[in-house]
Amino acid sequence: MSGPFKGVGLASPLLLVLLGLFLAPVLLMLPQSLHEYIPGTGTSEAWTLQNYTRLLTDDYYREIIGRTLWMGSLVTFLCFLLGYPLAYFMARTTPAWRAAATLLVIFPLFLNLVVRSFGWITLLANRGVVNNLLMDIGLIDSPIKMLFNMTGLVIGLTHIYLPFMVLMLLTAIQNVPRDVEQAAATLAASKLRIFFTITLPLTAPGILAGSILVFVLTISALVTPRLLGGPAYKVMATLIYDEFMQKLDWPSGTSFAFILTAITLLIIWGAGRVARKWSGGLA
Amino acid sequence: MKLHGKGRVLPGIAALAAGAFALASPLAAQEKLTIATFGGSFLDAVKSCHIPVFEKATGAAVETVLGNSVQHAASVRAMGASSDYDVVYIDDSAAMQLKAENLLHPLDRAVLASAEELDPRAFGPDDAFVVFMTGATAIAYNPEMVETPPSSWRDLFDEAYKGQVAIGDVTGTAGWQFLLAVNRMEGGSPEDVTPGIDAIRPLAQDAVVQYTQADQLLALFARGEVAMAPWYPDRAGSAADEGLPIAIAYPEEGAVGIRPTLLIPEGSSQKELAAAFVDTVLSKEVQECFAETKYAGPINLRAELSEKAAAIVPNGATLESLWFLDPAVTSAQLPGWIDRWQREVAR
Repeated sequence: MSGPFKGVGLASPLLLVLLGLFLAPVLLMLPQSLHEYIPGTGTSEAWTLQNYTRLLTDDYYREIIGRTLWMGSLVTFLCFLLGYPLAYFMARTTPAWRAAATLLVIFPLFLNLVVRSFGWITLLANRGVVNNLLMDIGLIDSPIKMLFNMTGLVIGLTHIYLPFMVLMLLTAIQNVPRDVEQAAATLAASKLRIFFTITLPLTAPGILAGSILVFVLTISALVTPRLLGGPAYKVMATLIYDEFMQKLDWPSGTSFAFILTAITLLIIWGAGRVARKWSGGLA
Repeated sequence: MKLHGKGRVLPGIAALAAGAFALASPLAAQEKLTIATFGGSFLDAVKSCHIPVFEKATGAAVETVLGNSVQHAASVRAMGASSDYDVVYIDDSAAMQLKAENLLHPLDRAVLASAEELDPRAFGPDDAFVVFMTGATAIAYNPEMVETPPSSWRDLFDEAYKGQVAIGDVTGTAGWQFLLAVNRMEGGSPEDVTPGIDAIRPLAQDAVVQYTQADQLLALFARGEVAMAPWYPDRAGSAADEGLPIAIAYPEEGAVGIRPTLLIPEGSSQKELAAAFVDTVLSKEVQECFAETKYAGPINLRAELSEKAAAIVPNGATLESLWFLDPAVTSAQLPGWIDRWQREVAR
């Protein structure tokens, strides 16, 4: 074997597992989404597209899709903003510091997601630690609502997905050849200029990979939005869960799941194109 | 528990030996029955009233899976022809939905020793399921905060208690039943819940919480954050026993009746044993035990209540005035009510 076939050969074990155990079951769900669910009787035999069209015509569902994408963007942006300086520090510091910092970054991942989300409930609730503290020192009179809305979701999810962003950025920053930066410095470029014209563009593949990872994980997260969003403040993932588990309307749940997947794929594809332009073909 | 008493050692060794043999020959294995039931204080009562009696009578071991009615319904549907569950505790509306999808194994009245003693309305259509207790959505209140016990659903809307009322999310039984009770009071019908939605919207905005788990209310009552809430007499009775400031009142318009049922999924591989479990739950003694520990209204008409239980469980006049909804109507309308609530009340 040679040429492109070698790659296929190497990837085929994983490819077979993914096709057989992931893609096939997902596609098996497709017919389910094309029937109407009639409460009291069950799933009808007739074919229909209404589960898909409803999502686009009903403004309740449109609001949830919009909210989900906005949440994904906010969390990704915050993870990048908080993660880049940290990753930069970790990449350029001594190996001992790097090891310690890496451990600290990874440490939250050892804790169960439910526990971490409950931790945020304790902190952010109306009578939680943060509000009590702010009221005790007299900064506010009545509690700030930080739970069951976008604030709570973004705080909780940023905390949970920050490690993924940092680890992706760390590798990217470490891979930037130092001599390119030194060459720029020799030519009297300021530190700021070196960062924005050399380092940042060279780490674009890492930024892109980290952003896609965080974005996709965020818009498909279920546990944290369920706990921090409450029953009323829904995003796509909790909506899908409720269609399946509370309304028993599996056809609608399936169609929403396919739409979420389509949105995700579209964003990954679009982000790839943008990054390729930005980094001049490196990504 | 005297697990280490002298008399326990030999049977213990015998059990170990039996276990070892069981590994070698599957025939010698102890029979295992999996029941899907509800959590919290309900589970405690199942473990003290239902399971030990059954295990003693049959020698089988019972495993429990926890969830709410709709979750159980989703699981039964997903498992279809080979169900891990042998007996399912589920509300009558979800049971009707599963019946419509042909997922249930009809009960045989001939093998149920207590069938004759039950309220004749206990069995579902084609004996697909059987009601094992009568519960209700009534008004739970904190007697330290509410001086005159509430007597009407309207009392929840009283200005004096604004911001001190909790209501259930529509996906829980108390949630949609409260919606329907208010809706009926305001002149609506199950087909048109607009009057109920309009009345509840302001109440929901001021509510302390829209609870999704029944026991979420426990902490709120304990801390005095909630004065009144539509809730279940059985849960309130259990909570009061543990010293919480909580009492139950039946509204004059009639509390809404809840009829939890037992059913055997068509896919169960232990249908005989499952029927024996159902029979155990329906027997007079076990019904009395469940009424006393869980404050569940007995469905076995021979069961007798103590004075204390009689004050809490629906019986006599309170049972007469209960409003029972047709489960065929509720299972067909519930997703519509959930949709409207999520768009117009919770949004």
